[in-house]
Amino acid sequence: MAVSTPALHDALGDLVGAPHLLRDPAALPAYAVDGVVPGAVVRPGSAEEVSRVLALCATEGLAVVPRGAGRAMGLGNPPRRLDVVLELARLTAVREYVPEDMVATVDAGLTLGGLAARLAPQRQMLALDPPGGLARSVGGVLATHASGPLRFRYGTGRDLLLGARFVQADGTLTWGGARVVKSVTGYDVPKLLVGSLGTLAVLVEATLRLHPIPPARRSWQVSLPSAPAAADFVAALLDSPLQPDRAALLDEAALRRAGVTPQPIALLLSIGSVAEAVEQQGSALAALARGHGARVDAVPESAWGGLGEAVAAPVLLRLACEPRRLLHWLTTAQAAAGRLGVEVASLAQPGHGVLQMAVRGAAAPRTLGAELVGPLRSGVESEGGSLMVEGAPSELKAICEAWGSINLENMAIMRRIKTEFDPAGCLSPGRFVGGL
Amino acid sequence: MSQIAPARLGAFDAQDAPSMDGLRACVHCGICLPQCPTYRVLGEEMDSPRGRVYLMRAAAEDRLGLTETMARHLDLCLGCRACETACPSGVPFGQLLEATRGQLERRGVVPSQRDSATLRFLLEVFPSPARLGAMLHGLRAYQWSGLQALVRGLGLLAPFRKLRAMEALLPPVPPIPAPLPEVVPARGGRARGRAGVLLGCAQRFFYPDVNADTVRLLSAAGYEVVVPRAQECCGALHLHAGRIDELRAMARRLMPLFADVDVVVVNAAGCGSALKEYGHWLPDEETQRFAARVRDVSEVLADADLPLRPLRETVTYHDACHLAHGQRVRAEPRALLRRIPELTLVDLPDSDLCCGSAGVYNLLEPDMAGELGRRKAARIRETGARIVAAGNPGCLMQIRQHCRAEGLAVEVAHPVTLLARALAEPRGER
Amino acid sequence: MPLSPHVLRELERIVGTAGLVVSHEGLLTYECDMHTFYKGAPEAVVLPESAAQVAEVVRLCRREHVPIVPRGSGTGLIGGAMAAAGGVMVSMTRMNRIVELDFANRCATVQPGLINLWLSQATRAGGYFFAPDPSSQMVSSIGGNASTNAGGPHCLKYGITVNHILGLEVVTGAGELVRLGGKTHERPGYDLTGVMVGAEGTLGLVTGVVVRLTHLPESVKTILASFPTIEDASETVSAIIRAGIIPAALEMLDEVVIRAIEEGIHAGYPKGAGAVLLIELDGPVAEIEAQAAPIEAICREHLALEIRVARDEAERALLWKGRKEAAGVFGRLTPNWLLQDAVVPRSRLPEIMRELQEIGARHRVVIANVFHAGDGNLHPLICYDDRVPGELERAKQANEELLHACLRLGGSVTGEHGVGLDKCESLPLQFAPADLNFMARLRRTFDPDSIMNPGKLLPSHPACGEGFRPTARPLPSGTWI
Repeated sequence: MAVSTPALHDALGDLVGAPHLLRDPAALPAYAVDGVVPGAVVRPGSAEEVSRVLALCATEGLAVVPRGAGRAMGLGNPPRRLDVVLELARLTAVREYVPEDMVATVDAGLTLGGLAARLAPQRQMLALDPPGGLARSVGGVLATHASGPLRFRYGTGRDLLLGARFVQADGTLTWGGARVVKSVTGYDVPKLLVGSLGTLAVLVEATLRLHPIPPARRSWQVSLPSAPAAADFVAALLDSPLQPDRAALLDEAALRRAGVTPQPIALLLSIGSVAEAVEQQGSALAALARGHGARVDAVPESAWGGLGEAVAAPVLLRLACEPRRLLHWLTTAQAAAGRLGVEVASLAQPGHGVLQMAVRGAAAPRTLGAELVGPLRSGVESEGGSLMVEGAPSELKAICEAWGSINLENMAIMRRIKTEFDPAGCLSPGRFVGGL
Repeated sequence: MSQIAPARLGAFDAQDAPSMDGLRACVHCGICLPQCPTYRVLGEEMDSPRGRVYLMRAAAEDRLGLTETMARHLDLCLGCRACETACPSGVPFGQLLEATRGQLERRGVVPSQRDSATLRFLLEVFPSPARLGAMLHGLRAYQWSGLQALVRGLGLLAPFRKLRAMEALLPPVPPIPAPLPEVVPARGGRARGRAGVLLGCAQRFFYPDVNADTVRLLSAAGYEVVVPRAQECCGALHLHAGRIDELRAMARRLMPLFADVDVVVVNAAGCGSALKEYGHWLPDEETQRFAARVRDVSEVLADADLPLRPLRETVTYHDACHLAHGQRVRAEPRALLRRIPELTLVDLPDSDLCCGSAGVYNLLEPDMAGELGRRKAARIRETGARIVAAGNPGCLMQIRQHCRAEGLAVEVAHPVTLLARALAEPRGER
Repeated sequence: MPLSPHVLRELERIVGTAGLVVSHEGLLTYECDMHTFYKGAPEAVVLPESAAQVAEVVRLCRREHVPIVPRGSGTGLIGGAMAAAGGVMVSMTRMNRIVELDFANRCATVQPGLINLWLSQATRAGGYFFAPDPSSQMVSSIGGNASTNAGGPHCLKYGITVNHILGLEVVTGAGELVRLGGKTHERPGYDLTGVMVGAEGTLGLVTGVVVRLTHLPESVKTILASFPTIEDASETVSAIIRAGIIPAALEMLDEVVIRAIEEGIHAGYPKGAGAVLLIELDGPVAEIEAQAAPIEAICREHLALEIRVARDEAERALLWKGRKEAAGVFGRLTPNWLLQDAVVPRSRLPEIMRELQEIGARHRVVIANVFHAGDGNLHPLICYDDRVPGELERAKQANEELLHACLRLGGSVTGEHGVGLDKCESLPLQFAPADLNFMARLRRTFDPDSIMNPGKLLPSHPACGEGFRPTARPLPSGTWI
């Protein structure tokens, strides 16, 4: 005999405390995931509570989607079923922080901004800066494998997450990885969790590698007349001894939205080091830029804050290609957008071949799918790349599907992993690749 | 620490057993592996120095008998001792190999793949100048009569792989050289010392000019040069084959001939290395004193004041194994070549990777030697050099053969040949 | 259990006679890697020359329930490349080519048997190198580095092997030949590449690697600072990190090791110091000049006896040769040794070094030290002579105590050498049953028939057995009506 839904909700309320259970039908749509509204939102206050909630959901076969700050819930396909949104925003403690070790263990619900405030007095940072991400939770940033300009020097969550405490689909509280910078003990389970979009487990605690905030930092905008010129400059930059810590490539639309001087195409770069080195590298950068017919302007730190605006659009695509093909795909997308009469603001990670495209404009989903997303995707896939839909209205997602094609053999392995750890398909069912 | 020597060391008996301390020095780190030519070719652990030491140690610890398979893996070893150069722990691989080969030899453990007939033939011909001279007389006739051209042109030796390999190796055999004078005075009158010259076996018959040039250069360097006429073979080939008692006999015959020289000068790497290690196999004081006086010709000429004319050539230098690894002599030959004005010395990548000659190895193991020879020729080609210099007759023959086979037009020469060529004095004056 | 004639015939058919080793002597040489403590000869060794051959071998072994053990150069220190349960050893040494250098994408595709250093030598002319530089790099293979997620002195700045692998071609334990990752830096789906790196051959055999290349730094400065005591050197390390300076490498060597290095390698290390720090800075000229000054000041503050800067590339190379070949010179120091690989948080380094000396004194064993001080990764070398009764026992006891001390200070049971056979039974010190169980189940998704390097990485703990379920947390009574 199935337990009644109100009874289940009561039981969930008992686990986390009634004030932290939300079931008012008027409030629930705000927690919808791709238009699918949950039956309840549960807000646990500890890893233990997360464990008990998931255990109960597993017993009752409830579909659960975890949520951090709720800023990137648009990633992936709509869930096949959704009963409970598990919000982790109450888990915000810094569990352990030893500045001398440059390692911090924090709750998954702590925001990037909150963490930065805790680390700044020690002149340390977590080198993860997805655009507009200060309000995002650590767990969410890791689960979506989000990244920003700091990737240029420091990598992504895959490189910065050392250890993780997580709750499996059946409620088992589990730990994987290490607490120190160097450890090779068993499988690198944290790697499996980064980018897994809450389909294998719910992250509750992260042990993160930190870096010192450089003593001095300056930023520049290097503006180029055309995409080919930009490609040449990027190649020259990568081949040079210059060591910027942040790099972002923006087209004219993105520059405008970011509130920076629009140019056909430009790189935002920052160099962080001791003051003398920053000066010296700055001069070297200027010389390199001039040699490529580029214009160099100093920009304030606040310029980076505008990147969030550049990618805040109803349709956000994320293309990944071989680094040397980045400018090709950027111009291809711009051309397609031009033909469709929509605006594409491009924000790319040079040297990594990752391009975010914020699409704005009135075009029917079918048209966008057939003339922009579809051709871009099949083109980049034929080169071994991919095109994800990071956010889009439901109709577009239904036409385009969020992920694109996945190599069949890889998919088989991923399916085995998913089946092993979430046999009942309770965690974010249907949101991930291959319908996992 | 005095101990009663054990009657056995595992599967080895006490006579010239490999040193247990030497075997135990190996920490199994594997740093020797990429330096080993046979490992580079085969990629198998048992044909690497680490693997070979492991087998020897297993035998010493009674985990393994002295088997034919073990002997085969040791047969495949070139004895180049590149592993000794690489080894941080100081494992004396060369001596362990020679000792183990000696034991296998005495117990009659012979792998089926070994060409015992050829080995026996070579070990009996080489030590005797008379026999070697006679054989080469025949070979010279073979070449001058045009028979060689016929044989090669028609590929008559094709079905006889071993014979064909040996035949291919033959450089043009020069006429029997006139014997060198027994004493040559120092240039300029006042001698800085007496230098005795070892003529070698292959050197004396295949490259007699190298010996003549050696004498000339030593004299120019201010030495009174002595060339004992009665000298025969130094025993290096026998030592490398594990015939240790024969080595001892030859050493005892050779050493007195050089009793009253200050330095024993050797221009063949294989010989020099063996001479310098006489003291390990004959631990008496007299032998130690002899061994301490042995030098490669490049070491002796290192501080000589030689007047040299320009020689505009691009030269690359190949490290003969028994010079670089066996004697740790690398810098001196290069320094000498660099002293020649207008000579450009180009680096040879993998210069100290064995060319495959390894004494008579290329006559016994043509497949492995051929592969190494080909690789050496390819490296030489990459340098663009016109001359390859090497301080060992076997290397010169092997490199010459394989460069020709690859269509590479290079001259192979001993460093002293180039030095003598550049020596600023009227030729013909000896 | 000996391999059946059928299996041997099949193996010979797949790799050819020249690719199969079955002689007693041959198999003997494959019975251990650098950790000679752990010996286990395989029943056959195959040396494949292509991924297709590897896949066929795995499928055969799966069909016949024969264990498989991968092996690169056999220089591991954890009993990884030995056959604990017999079976077929797959040696990758003949698959050792560079398949492609792609400077435009700053990556390279290589075969697993390629020697680490050879890759950097090949890319040098293009201005690039492969950053992970384990001390064994002159002989260890890229595939081996990937399987153990190798570290090295320069991983302090550049990260460990997994941070430099973009993709892997592997044959899973299920026999599938798959490409994970590739030249693009991200893709939808789970990070299978990230999980495979460091899996020590228990999930699959690596048959191809796409590596990230790093641009050679503009300049390098190598500083050798000697100190009266290990304590002074340890405090210096902590102080440097506290000052927010991350050198490219920060290594410590003590006087015992220095003596052996000088004997064996003559690398120019100073004798008479209690400990020495080898500090390397690399990057833009202005940056390293600005970092060198405070580093030297910190050294002086901590009683440095001498601070020397390498004058040229030759001197620098020799200093590093001394450091990297230190493991090899142990043969000069002591007849036998146990080499530990443990980590403590950097802030606890002076503490662990004091404990270490105390443990050595108490057990009357000499403990030598050469290690990556900058990231708290210790390599205590416990010396003993197996011919002296009782010494091995004391050495083992000291080893155990040392490991527990590291864990107590918040460290890990292994820093970079991996788990293999040597550390697998220690994993329960660091992981709860639920954690071990998770890893065991992950393993079975890749290797359903448990043929991949059995007995390695995960302990023989009930949590790793099939059917284990961690005790379900009981829900509070009255949870629902």
